[in-house]
Amino acid sequence: MALSRSGRCLILSSWLCLGSHSIWAVEAMSGNFALTDQDGQRFQLDQLKGKVVLLFFGYTFCPDICPTELTNLSRVLDTLDGESVQGVFVTVDPDRDTPEVLKDYTDYFNRRLIGLTGSPAQIDRVTQKYRVKFRKLPVPGGSYSMNHPSNLYLIDRTGKLSTIVPYGLPPEHVVDVVRHLLAENL
Amino acid sequence: MLARFFRYSLTSVLIFSGGASQSGAQSLPVAPGYGELNYTLPEAGSYQLPPLGTAADGEVLDTSGHTQRLHQQFGSQYVLLAFIYSTCSDVNGCPLTAHVFYKIKSEMKRDKILARRLKLISLSFDPLVDTPEMLQLYGNNFRYAGNAGEWQFLTTSSEKTLDPILRAYNQQVQRELKDDGSNSAGYSHVLRIFLIDPDKRIRNIYSADFLHHDLLLADVRTLLKQEDQTDTWNRSGSQPLQVSRLSNPGDDKRGYEQTSYRTRSLALELRQGKEADLIRFGTEPPLGLPAIPTPLDNPLSREKIALGRKLFYDRRLSLNDTFSCAMCHIPDQGFTSNELATAVGIEGRSVRRNTPTIYNSAYATLLFHDGREDSLEQQAWGPLLASNEMGNPSIGYVLNKIRQIQEYQGLFEAAFDGKDASMMTLGMALASYQRTLVSGSSAFDRWYYGNDPNALSPGAQRGFRVFAGKGGCVACHTIEKRYALFTDNRLHNTGMGYRSSMGIHPEKEKIIIAPGVFIEVDRAVIDQVGEKPPADVGRYEVTQSPHDRWKYKTPSLRNIVLTAPYMHDGSLGSLKEVIDFYDAGGVPNDLLDPRIRPLNLSEQEKVDLVLFMGSLTGSNVDTLVADAFAAPVGDIGKGDPTWVSGTDVEVK
Repeated sequence: MALSRSGRCLILSSWLCLGSHSIWAVEAMSGNFALTDQDGQRFQLDQLKGKVVLLFFGYTFCPDICPTELTNLSRVLDTLDGESVQGVFVTVDPDRDTPEVLKDYTDYFNRRLIGLTGSPAQIDRVTQKYRVKFRKLPVPGGSYSMNHPSNLYLIDRTGKLSTIVPYGLPPEHVVDVVRHLLAENL
Repeated sequence: MLARFFRYSLTSVLIFSGGASQSGAQSLPVAPGYGELNYTLPEAGSYQLPPLGTAADGEVLDTSGHTQRLHQQFGSQYVLLAFIYSTCSDVNGCPLTAHVFYKIKSEMKRDKILARRLKLISLSFDPLVDTPEMLQLYGNNFRYAGNAGEWQFLTTSSEKTLDPILRAYNQQVQRELKDDGSNSAGYSHVLRIFLIDPDKRIRNIYSADFLHHDLLLADVRTLLKQEDQTDTWNRSGSQPLQVSRLSNPGDDKRGYEQTSYRTRSLALELRQGKEADLIRFGTEPPLGLPAIPTPLDNPLSREKIALGRKLFYDRRLSLNDTFSCAMCHIPDQGFTSNELATAVGIEGRSVRRNTPTIYNSAYATLLFHDGREDSLEQQAWGPLLASNEMGNPSIGYVLNKIRQIQEYQGLFEAAFDGKDASMMTLGMALASYQRTLVSGSSAFDRWYYGNDPNALSPGAQRGFRVFAGKGGCVACHTIEKRYALFTDNRLHNTGMGYRSSMGIHPEKEKIIIAPGVFIEVDRAVIDQVGEKPPADVGRYEVTQSPHDRWKYKTPSLRNIVLTAPYMHDGSLGSLKEVIDFYDAGGVPNDLLDPRIRPLNLSEQEKVDLVLFMGSLTGSNVDTLVADAFAAPVGDIGKGDPTWVSGTDVEVK
């Protein structure tokens, strides 16, 4: 089921984007990537095969959305405690979000959350894969904030991106979708 | 560091401050759509959502990558259409839409009608990123959220197909470029959600500040509620109108509020008429009507009818040669003015009352709404001399003018046995033409008097039973054994005039700002700028008897669907409003006619009554209108007594 669906998506996306100059043109969304986790260890998404992954992009200096989203994500993870579920937070601000900063952050929100960082080039590759656009916005005082979307990416147990949950939907909805994904790929 | 996180977690949804000072980032207030409304919404159905224009069509892609028309995707449902892009980073933008749509989708699980009648559509304005595949990933969310209701994700194949759609919906989207100008990093756009009805008309537009699921649901339910009413009335109201092909305004503005409107106005000179042998209608009464009463001294003749017809359409019968009888008694508008509550006379002067129809005026024993004249011969001079109608200063002025117009030479003499144009002969000629505008043999007549059981629809038959029974309408709109005038030719107080005289008005009034577009205006505002309604005490003005205050003549109901608006002041635009007025028992006052009382009619009975009234349209209406079209329109020309300018005068 999941395989045939993503297979169809891939064909469509390459067909539709012919002639466009999009950098996403030929590459299917999702797929494996490698980054560094909050403990400084090399991390590959494929390590999590067999689990449903809740993937979220943000940055720890984020003043509003990320904490909200992570609080919600944390609630989802608590609700699904004991299930094969893993939350992953990928920073879009690798300059400031070192593994140490990430550890502080993920420990605070949920110890079972994996925080990932890497070189700017590595981060670019991952965000391009998931079509996450972000931008640095300077703020008065020499600092900056990051402009980034707040979608939640749900990856099924085979490692395929299954659903994108837009920001604003309640945690109960995410729990509902994750439970269905768990049941789908046993 | 920890302290910063802690502050965030205090509020899980609404986060206004916190680490802003440390991170240097500005945090933003969250739109009301994420929380509870802090004000009470008006009850669904208690307000109006006038159409704001047509929702444009366009070429889109569904999540399977198939090309579709946007209108096709709307189907026959109500649609909430949002323009979004999936990588939007403004929480009060596209994600707000997702949040609100999700709430509505959840409501659809509970409300089956909502699930069936409403469709949510998110249309991306980022075709490069939001491919059908991407949107399918979005849509996948709701495979699990129950199958009640539909939330569809659409995109376009390219910016080329997208741009006309954005333009049509006035969505200004600016692509934000990265510093090196290379790749778009986002979009700035103003969030707009459109509520579209099954006729593809936009009924509301929401910005971020007003995007709240409770508000949207109230609006959708308002439209659903009002749809029930409009539908019933449209079905019952439009059908009888088809009895007459020609009884439509020359400039038909129906649908004017939609961008698909194309003018249907007819050039007067292109309008083809067909002369009819009018005397036949006067001498051989149609089914359902008696022989027309004719004064002994004014029997019908072809000459008199032709002369009266010529006078009726002659603009020179007014002070400034512009205004004919037919300009208020418009043949293709039921020989009245469908577009005016109260008449407008020469040079735009206001007239107090509604133009009565001339159809079947032959049978009227009282003329004018207050019954101040009792023959058509005399009645004709009323409008001719009224300063706010045709504006003539005197009887002699009219007669002298006609006598000097070349075209009328010998006509009066031929019609009236050698008699010249006089107060009497002019009245007689006009009366003769009007007397021939007899209209019967309606579906009702064929059923009731012609004994054709199939002539009247079952609904109209039910309506007849209400008319003659529970409604008691027949007490004044009388039906006799061999004929029916649908008027008792008497005057009654229904409270309509009393209400106006006493200044009893609803707090808000529906005002037309363009054809088909209404707004509700507070009474206080109208009072500030509007002209005070003219004093009108009805029959009292004629008799000076206090008992006759606010009494007006019973109009015939024949051709009633052609002669809107209704009542002596034209204040009711539709038959439904008239029925509602009588159903409520009119307006109580000391002089209220005892036959007017609350009726407790059901909605069905009201619909049936309208169907019945729709069956009263005469079979010869189009013949009479076509004959009017064929009549000469008298206009000022060289040689006329009042001809003063033109090519003869050189202007320096």
